[in-house]
Amino acid sequence: MRCIPLLLAGLLGAISPPTPAGEWKAVLDLAGGELRFGLRMERSGGGWRGELCNGTRCDQLSAVRQQGDSLVLEIADYAATIGVVIRGDSLTGVYRNVGNRGPRVIPLRASRGRWPSVRAPESLVGRWDATYLQDWGTSPRVFQFRNGPAGLEGTVISNTGDYGHFAGQMAGDSFALAHFDGSFVYLLTGVLRGDTLRGVFHAGLRTQTPWIAVRSTGAPHLKPPTEITQADTTAPFRFSFPDLDGKMVSERDSRFRGKVVLVDIFGTWCPTCHDAAPELVRLYRRYHGQGLEIVGLAYEVTGDPEVDRRQVRRYRAKFDIPFPLLLAGINDTEAAAATLPQLRGFTSFPTSIFLGRDGKVRRVHAGFYGPATGAQHERLLRDFEREIERLLLSR
Amino acid sequence: MSWARGWCVALVVVVYGVSPLSGQQAVATATRERTEYVAWLTAAPNSPLAAIAQQPVGAGIRLGPADSDVPLEGVGEHRAIEQGGAVSLEGPGGKRLLPRGRPVAFGRYTLSVGGPAGRSVLTVFGASPSGKAPEHYPLDPRAVFVGPLAPPSRAGTVRVLAVDGVEVEAAEAGSVTVPIGGASVRIIVRRIPTAAGEESELEIFFRDGTNGNGTYPAGRFVSLLPQGAGMYLLDFNRARNPFCAYSSAYPCPAPWRGNTIAAPIRAGERYLGGGLAAPAGLEAR
Repeated sequence: MRCIPLLLAGLLGAISPPTPAGEWKAVLDLAGGELRFGLRMERSGGGWRGELCNGTRCDQLSAVRQQGDSLVLEIADYAATIGVVIRGDSLTGVYRNVGNRGPRVIPLRASRGRWPSVRAPESLVGRWDATYLQDWGTSPRVFQFRNGPAGLEGTVISNTGDYGHFAGQMAGDSFALAHFDGSFVYLLTGVLRGDTLRGVFHAGLRTQTPWIAVRSTGAPHLKPPTEITQADTTAPFRFSFPDLDGKMVSERDSRFRGKVVLVDIFGTWCPTCHDAAPELVRLYRRYHGQGLEIVGLAYEVTGDPEVDRRQVRRYRAKFDIPFPLLLAGINDTEAAAATLPQLRGFTSFPTSIFLGRDGKVRRVHAGFYGPATGAQHERLLRDFEREIERLLLSR
Repeated sequence: MSWARGWCVALVVVVYGVSPLSGQQAVATATRERTEYVAWLTAAPNSPLAAIAQQPVGAGIRLGPADSDVPLEGVGEHRAIEQGGAVSLEGPGGKRLLPRGRPVAFGRYTLSVGGPAGRSVLTVFGASPSGKAPEHYPLDPRAVFVGPLAPPSRAGTVRVLAVDGVEVEAAEAGSVTVPIGGASVRIIVRRIPTAAGEESELEIFFRDGTNGNGTYPAGRFVSLLPQGAGMYLLDFNRARNPFCAYSSAYPCPAPWRGNTIAAPIRAGERYLGGGLAAPAGLEAR
């Protein structure tokens, strides 16, 4: 009789699906290296909820579905999925995203546990001026490395903003930092030799761009964001797009008249825009009483108003955005530029346009330095605050 | 450093201390990619097997009625136009912008805009992929090569048609020299931009001894896969047809000058007829 519970337990173990609960050390197997990130899953009601993590920064997955030993993790913001099979303590499968010349598929595997926290030596920590060596020329970037709660972390900054939070490890003089958010697949690998770094920036499954970096001297290495996108400053800035209820909203509406207006060009698919959104909400709450209005112009993925509206509503709820968000178009720089003909050289999501009380453009800032850039982020926020305060004082 | 077949990879590991795929591993990876690609071809709404028309937007395209540029059964008159680099679709229901590089549902059809601003191309897809399912040669580890990429003889960019028949600005990436059929063959490699962020692919458009006799007459594409430490994997098991092989809606890319391999390469995607045969007198670029 004593055998019966054991037999039952064995039988149940044999027929019940393996549990995805817990933390997972996940790897995207890129052509040039391993991109490491974390997954966490836990019970939620009758199903599962999950998170995708880069170091200690985690984003919630939109859905986790289990059928037998198969698991599908949905990243709805980017219309992407992770499909894996659970075998005991391992997950094996793919990350999948639709492409126009074929599927964008990257092999994925995971084992139970958490990536170890490895601190970087002081010789790596800090700001580096990097040069990407592309087939057709060179292109500047800035790397910022520091030690955070999960060890080595940092970001990559281009002329138009940063690529989000990177987390990684160091072994000997080699290091690897990764950023995977369900859309962007970025891996920075390199070697520290004396006062020079050399390595490769991996994008997606196969793109590999060699780079070389030296310690930043403080001299400007990137092009200032205000030089990238410019605007017609002679006439009031015009926009007219439907809000999420289909009602047309334009700069001529009474809520904007005589106000300082910050026009935020964004997309729910854009990770840097997700970094900017809470800061814009904070600025709105702080300065709205003094005459600041903010309006978000969303450039979305599908071009289908119903689908895009749903996506923007989700974004509005996620960041508790109190200012109007308008459905302006699709996330194509040329398309966006065409809907805002007063902008010149528009290339970047997000782009912030500051309008004076007369409705004319006073400043255009391409890109946004997110929290991963540390001091750059703080400086940018102070800069935005100063700009808003200056415009609020002017008549 | 010349190129070696997959079985020579162990030597490369010793010399360079890198861990590229072995021929067998490369074949396993190619199998997985092939399965995904075939699934996309046979089921995706923007599968080239479902394409019924592809046209430069130019001064505008009329869609719908029988006498329009692209007749579509059961569709009222619509017009696709490009303004300031953005393509929009105007019809009885109003105007909507069409995103570049992404499928958009249009009744029982699907539309997709490709190409750079100012030279946009509209592709129209039918309700479901039609035609024969793609077929491949058996996977062959001997069709896998590893070696370095030599710099281009002249740097710069050239306009070529990508695998989907859309004109792109491709950067000269260099060349690889591969031992095939008892000869060393130099093959030109170009970097073709893809739609997503900083991503691009190193691509080779080549012709070989099987063209017209087992494979597509106009040639095939194959990607050059970086392995680290300056080494690259050329796996002809991954050779795939240009989209003009699946539907005559697509224009065929002109062969790239010099990328003709005399020996037959019986690896990668085969050709079962349909679509267009290679037009005579193609100009090499």
